Amino acid sequence: MTLTRRHLVALALAAPAAFALPAAAAETVKLGYQLPLTGNTAQYGQDFKTAAEIALARFNASGRIPAKVEIVFEDSRSDAKEGVTIARKFVDDEKIVGVLGDFTSGVSMAAAQVYKEAGMPQLSQTASHPDYTKISEWQFRNITTQAGEGPYNADWMVAKGYKKVAVIAEQTDWGQSVTKYFADEIAAKGGKVVLTEYFNRGLPDFRSLLTKIQREKPDAIYTGFFYEDAANFLKQMKQLGIAIPVYSTSAAHNQKVIELAGADAEGLSLTTNFLPNSPKPEVKEFVAEWVKVRGAEPGQFPAQAFDAVNIMLEAVVKTYPKSTRAAIRDALAATKDFPGVTGSTTFGADREPVKQLSKVRIVGGVFTPVAD
Amino acid sequence: MIDPYYLQQLAIGLSQGVIYALMAIGFTLIFGVLNVVNFAHGEVYTVGAFAGLLLITAFAPPFLVVLFAVLAFGAALGFGLERIAFKPFRRFSDEASLKSRAMRESTLMSSLAVSIVVREGLEIGFGSQMQTLPFDYLINKPIELGPVTIVTGDVIIFAVAAVMLGGLQYLLKRTRIGLSIRAVSANPLGAKYVGIDTDRTIITTFALGSMMGAGAGILVGLYYGAIFPAMGFVPGIKAFVAMVMGGLSSIPGAVVCALLLGLSEGLATTFISSNWADMVAYGFLIVTLIFFPQGLFGAGRERV
Repeated sequence: MTLTRRHLVALALAAPAAFALPAAAAETVKLGYQLPLTGNTAQYGQDFKTAAEIALARFNASGRIPAKVEIVFEDSRSDAKEGVTIARKFVDDEKIVGVLGDFTSGVSMAAAQVYKEAGMPQLSQTASHPDYTKISEWQFRNITTQAGEGPYNADWMVAKGYKKVAVIAEQTDWGQSVTKYFADEIAAKGGKVVLTEYFNRGLPDFRSLLTKIQREKPDAIYTGFFYEDAANFLKQMKQLGIAIPVYSTSAAHNQKVIELAGADAEGLSLTTNFLPNSPKPEVKEFVAEWVKVRGAEPGQFPAQAFDAVNIMLEAVVKTYPKSTRAAIRDALAATKDFPGVTGSTTFGADREPVKQLSKVRIVGGVFTPVAD
Repeated sequence: MIDPYYLQQLAIGLSQGVIYALMAIGFTLIFGVLNVVNFAHGEVYTVGAFAGLLLITAFAPPFLVVLFAVLAFGAALGFGLERIAFKPFRRFSDEASLKSRAMRESTLMSSLAVSIVVREGLEIGFGSQMQTLPFDYLINKPIELGPVTIVTGDVIIFAVAAVMLGGLQYLLKRTRIGLSIRAVSANPLGAKYVGIDTDRTIITTFALGSMMGAGAGILVGLYYGAIFPAMGFVPGIKAFVAMVMGGLSSIPGAVVCALLLGLSEGLATTFISSNWADMVAYGFLIVTLIFFPQGLFGAGRERV
């Protein structure tokens, strides 16, 4: 009797292992994705996860390589300490050959130190701090930095005849790069920054700041903020009856700005490299998939994540079946004219993406491409 | 003649102060007056706002109905919160436990735990982004007063805060419930010995305080048009600072200090950068603690 029971137990223990073995033999290629899935910035991480799942499902269905690719998602909570812990975990898992993420520059750069030591290719969809790709040859990003967007915006505003500009940005590494690159270019073009202010992300009340900006009587306001701060800023600006044109970066390019601020968002001008209503087939396909899952159009960040995952998968295809970490890195570095939804992407020798920027303005509740 | 610029900044600072005061009143009633360490007030505020949001999206009732429904819901929340995080620590009625500071202060952890569970739960259920609100419900239509612009919400929030403050002062000073709240806070054991139902008093205070917290949540949510799971954190901290500055146990003191905080933050933006405005508030707190360890209005011994 006891013998039978022991047999049963042994059988029960052995059964899953027996099923697991052939699955492992199929040699799944594993990638890691570190991103905030809980905490204050979870909405961004959730977007990236959905984008990655769309890209991965499409890839695995295409059968371009005779194995499946799997992405391991880990929640970093936008906390640098968590980011480093996850990085160690990914590095220790020998099956993981490439890592995507993190969301913020701060966490990405903290984790990058681990990836640099271990030799793990890291591709962030959003880390835009200038120093990120300078950490080592293992760091890539799929976002143009403010070194590109700032001067582009400055030229746009000077061309419109706005010479006196007030600049506000959130108090982060990213926010400081927003003001710096913009101010350098506008000074070079004969314009003037009349006021530079930083605020803490998530500030509920911009009215004191707005009143201060109004006193300087600028021709336009250039802003470095994300969509929630953007919505609050624009709503309170309308409340106070201030009518000064507002320009911003691609970080504010999100359908939620219009949802949250409604008519008050009208006229916000910004630069972006993703146009959800573009007629390109790859964009249409991605937007349709996204709308199926989420019910609304994607903003620029999910599009960047989608492209980042696809660029990584492309590197897996190029190197398969010898997809080692070093091989993936070299394949990433060789990425040229990748046809993504955020335009064609080429990595320069400095592992920075070269992308085309477009001008967009909110007109009639829609992000509309504009010439000026 | 004062520069209209400063008048406008004063008005903005004042409206900020009134918002902090709205939060500080309920907070001080539980934490300060009843003398129960409660770190879940910020989540009562958030849950109140979310309850209002759900009601608005489901039934679109008139504004006043939303407000009163949220107040009632807040009272129920207070009851539930007390049951989960506070009552278990009062299950021993022997003298040693009743006098024990450890038993009293362990609610710091239990209320913090409730607050974390609630916040993370909301994030799982709703996501951490700001919720979209119907624009008709927002209380931010501009009102021009000469060179100064305020919004409808400022008037509403001021009125509600004034009613809360006046009502509570009346309740605490002139009614038997108020007397029993004061008795329980001064000496729970003594209150029990003279026949006061301490359990009931504590539950009543929680219901009242949480009612005010939830009401503050929906009002401020509609004021800024911003309802999200982490919305209670910053107002909670500001209310805490106002309470400590006001001398822990004085509701009018907390209100005055909340106004002072709002004004100083509003004016600070003019002279220093906006991201340092918070420093002014915390600077005030440190100065108060060094020079007035009893708080600005906490000289008296009695807790009201």
